[in-house]
Amino acid sequence: MGLRAEAHQLFDWTIFNPRFLLLKVAHQTGSWFVNSGDQQSQASPCCDTHVRKLLLAACALLLFMTAHCRANDAPQRVLILHAYNYTFPATTAVSEVARRQLIERSSRPIEIEAEFLDLARFPSEAHAARVAQFLHDKYEGRHFDLILSMGFGAIPFLIKYRDQFAPNVPVVFAGGTKDHFAGYKLPNDVTGVFSSFDPDKILELAERLQPNARHLMVIGGSSPNDRSWQRSAREAIERRAPRLEIITRYDFSYDALLAEVSHLPSDTIVLLLTVYSDADGRSLIPQLVATDIAKAASAPVYGPFETFLGSGVVGGYTETYASLGASAADVALEILSGTDPSKIAPHVNPRQAFRVDARAMDRWGLKRTDLPPGTIVQFHEPGLWEQHGLLVVAVASVVLIQSVLLIALLFQRRQLRRTQRSLEESEDRLNFAATSMNIGFWQFDRSTGALWVSEPGRAMFNAAKKGLWTRDSFLAAVQPDDRLLAASALEGNLKVHSRAADVRVVASGGEIRWVSIRSRSNLDEVSASDSVSGAFVDITDQKASETEAELHRQEVAHLMRVSVLGELSGAIAHEVNQPLTAILSNAQAALYLLEQDTPNLAEVQDALRDIVKEDNRAGSVVRRLRGLLKKGEPRAELIDINEMIGSAAALLRSELISRQVRVETELSASRPTVFGDSVQLQQVLLNLIVNAMDAMAATPEKQRRIWICTRETKTGTTEVIVSDSGHGIQPRDSKQLFSPFYTTKDHGLGLGLTICSTIIRKHGGTINLQNGEAGGAIARVSLPSRLMLTAAQ
Amino acid sequence: MTNDEFTVFLVDDDEGVLKAIGRLLQARGYRIQPFTSPTAFLASHDVSIPGCALLDLSMPDLDGLALQQALSACGSERQVIFLTAKGDIPTSVRAMRAGAIDFLTKPVNDTDLLRAVQEAERKDGEIRSKAASLNSIITKLALLTPREQEVMKHVVAGRLNKQIAGELGTVEKTIKVHRGRVMNKLGVRSVADLVRLAERAGIAGVGS
Repeated sequence: MGLRAEAHQLFDWTIFNPRFLLLKVAHQTGSWFVNSGDQQSQASPCCDTHVRKLLLAACALLLFMTAHCRANDAPQRVLILHAYNYTFPATTAVSEVARRQLIERSSRPIEIEAEFLDLARFPSEAHAARVAQFLHDKYEGRHFDLILSMGFGAIPFLIKYRDQFAPNVPVVFAGGTKDHFAGYKLPNDVTGVFSSFDPDKILELAERLQPNARHLMVIGGSSPNDRSWQRSAREAIERRAPRLEIITRYDFSYDALLAEVSHLPSDTIVLLLTVYSDADGRSLIPQLVATDIAKAASAPVYGPFETFLGSGVVGGYTETYASLGASAADVALEILSGTDPSKIAPHVNPRQAFRVDARAMDRWGLKRTDLPPGTIVQFHEPGLWEQHGLLVVAVASVVLIQSVLLIALLFQRRQLRRTQRSLEESEDRLNFAATSMNIGFWQFDRSTGALWVSEPGRAMFNAAKKGLWTRDSFLAAVQPDDRLLAASALEGNLKVHSRAADVRVVASGGEIRWVSIRSRSNLDEVSASDSVSGAFVDITDQKASETEAELHRQEVAHLMRVSVLGELSGAIAHEVNQPLTAILSNAQAALYLLEQDTPNLAEVQDALRDIVKEDNRAGSVVRRLRGLLKKGEPRAELIDINEMIGSAAALLRSELISRQVRVETELSASRPTVFGDSVQLQQVLLNLIVNAMDAMAATPEKQRRIWICTRETKTGTTEVIVSDSGHGIQPRDSKQLFSPFYTTKDHGLGLGLTICSTIIRKHGGTINLQNGEAGGAIARVSLPSRLMLTAAQ
Repeated sequence: MTNDEFTVFLVDDDEGVLKAIGRLLQARGYRIQPFTSPTAFLASHDVSIPGCALLDLSMPDLDGLALQQALSACGSERQVIFLTAKGDIPTSVRAMRAGAIDFLTKPVNDTDLLRAVQEAERKDGEIRSKAASLNSIITKLALLTPREQEVMKHVVAGRLNKQIAGELGTVEKTIKVHRGRVMNKLGVRSVADLVRLAERAGIAGVGS
């Protein structure tokens, strides 16, 4: 069994059976460390003989083993004298620490005896004398190495009776303030540790915690011991007089006091000193008094003792009894190890501190922040945080995470609602827009053939009836020619992804309406979804205006052609006149020849042949003219570009001659062909040539020259280049050449190049004009070779 | 066929027309020379050949009027007939002032055409005969000696033999011989004839 365990046992005993304490301590320590014969018999009263023999043998062995080191191992005896009895917690606290420390730290065994003098509660001299006699009788013949005195009350007793039971044994005291010792002359071999009593510090603490206090009540008992505490405190109390109203209760009836403190104003500081007895002579234990007063008081109570803490007192400037005991034990050990007690001066316990009871502070609502630095806060209920920090963190985290999730969910819900709302709004808007714009939505299930169509869509198809539509009932409403196209649009099989098919629908009055079917099928997800969706758009008006615009455009183009030809009418008439002239002359020659007696028939035949030839020539001019003048639907045909240039040149021949303009051609040997409308392209060419002629009005006749070139490029386009030696394009005109109604001529409409540009664009080509390096302008028309063009649309 | 035969020079850039007109004139017995290019015509033009030019008014390179001017510039009195598809008045006036025989519009009737050609032929003949008589006078004048030419100038001026002898520092008889030779060489019988001849040849009398 270790010493520590033994101490625990001892502690248990003090709790359950304090009356046996002295005996038990003596017995335990004795049986362990000494092993002397008489102790032994006392220790084993109930052992049977068998065990006894064994023990005897063991003891003999132990005696032998320890004999040679007896000089060093002889126990030192210490007598602990308690001024009070063990019910005083201070007593227990001080002595327990001192006892343990003595045993633990001493290099030699220590044998401890203890006595409770109980002098404070029984202050009569007779009692003291009896106790002295008792000790004398009890320890006669017993030598002590040291007396440890606990509590100041033992000092006067020791001074007076020490010689009677322990002469010349050095004394180490613990407790009692310097003031207590003031009236005594201590012998040289009496030394120890003063407890500190610093009322000034206590009041400082109280004032810091209660800055608004107006009253100070000081409570003290009526016993001599109490009086000495009161004297010690007087100066500190009186110093507070200017600020605080001082009330002292040093002689009181305990019950009356308890009644009084329960009616104190809350701005009162209550300072409780010791109360060992009241004015009625009632014997009291200060700690219990502190408990009562603190409980009854209507204002915070402060006190000088550690034991008050925990009884409801707020706090004070105190040492702990344990520290007092430890300090006293330090001095005792020094003396036991041979130091002369007179060399050790009595000194104040160095382990002082502000101490407060956290619960009491909470009760009065006192703030921790007001505490002086270094204050020890006791009875601080470890908060949830300190006790279960990790758990708290975990729980908090869980709660936090849940909260976050909750918030996220709420947020999401809100978002969802908002989205829903905006979706509804959006749908509403969409519906409104769809209705206003004549748009119907549809969805088609390829697997079942079921077709859903929104209300405006049904109206478009002239089908008011509710219920399911099918592919066939839908197609029935479409004009027969467009059914194939409509079906492929519905099934999402249009060639280009997400494009529209324009179909004609027969409306109720037999009127034809154009409906554009726009489909959007997820071709990539054919396996996943069999549904195609899209919209019907009524584009009748659009088609009508498109047609009208196209008609207007054609009209304008035609007018331009007529206008060009009008300008050229003289030259064109000349072109017809030439063959007519030839025909007439040939005919008259033939007639004359036939009138002769021997007509030259070969010559007549020749003349007739020429007439036919010239007639054809005139006919072709007329045909060309008619082609250019007629208003017809654009056609799509293969056009030999070289031939077309020859034709244009022929038509303009006489105009070119009369304007003294020379035309040179450099035509591609590959005979480039394009697909399109020959009249429109001829119009472009005529326009470019006429422009070139106009541009050369101011050019000297010898230099008037138009150069026409055709060629096929590697990129599959046919280029027609018309260049002249005229004045070229002015920089300020270059940007507006193709704008409608922009002209540089004196009497031009400004539509020629605009129409050329439109025609070429419709043929999928480009046209541009620029200045040549050697002066003059170059018009470059680029057309796709042999491609199906949109001119026919 | 000799180069003395009346020839119609046809110039028209339109081959069909050229051929047809040519055929018509040939049928009527005219000799023709067709040209499609005015410049080619100018380059090979021989003034000595009697005939006329039938010109198209509107041609590339050189139009009819310009061609007419080019012809007169090189001293030719070639008769010109214009043929045009679009004859306007200012052009026709210019052409006529420059001495054109006619200004015909296409398609042209054979009678109009033939009349114009005949007119041209007549004018050309006139000019040519005038030129021929002048040529014979000039040839005869060339036969006279310088002394005879001198005497002739005095005679044309109306001087008497005596006056002429005094002027030339000789005797009247010598003058008489010279006078007889001049009359003989020039083929005239009277002084009046001589004077007329001298006028046509542009010879003025001395001192008159």
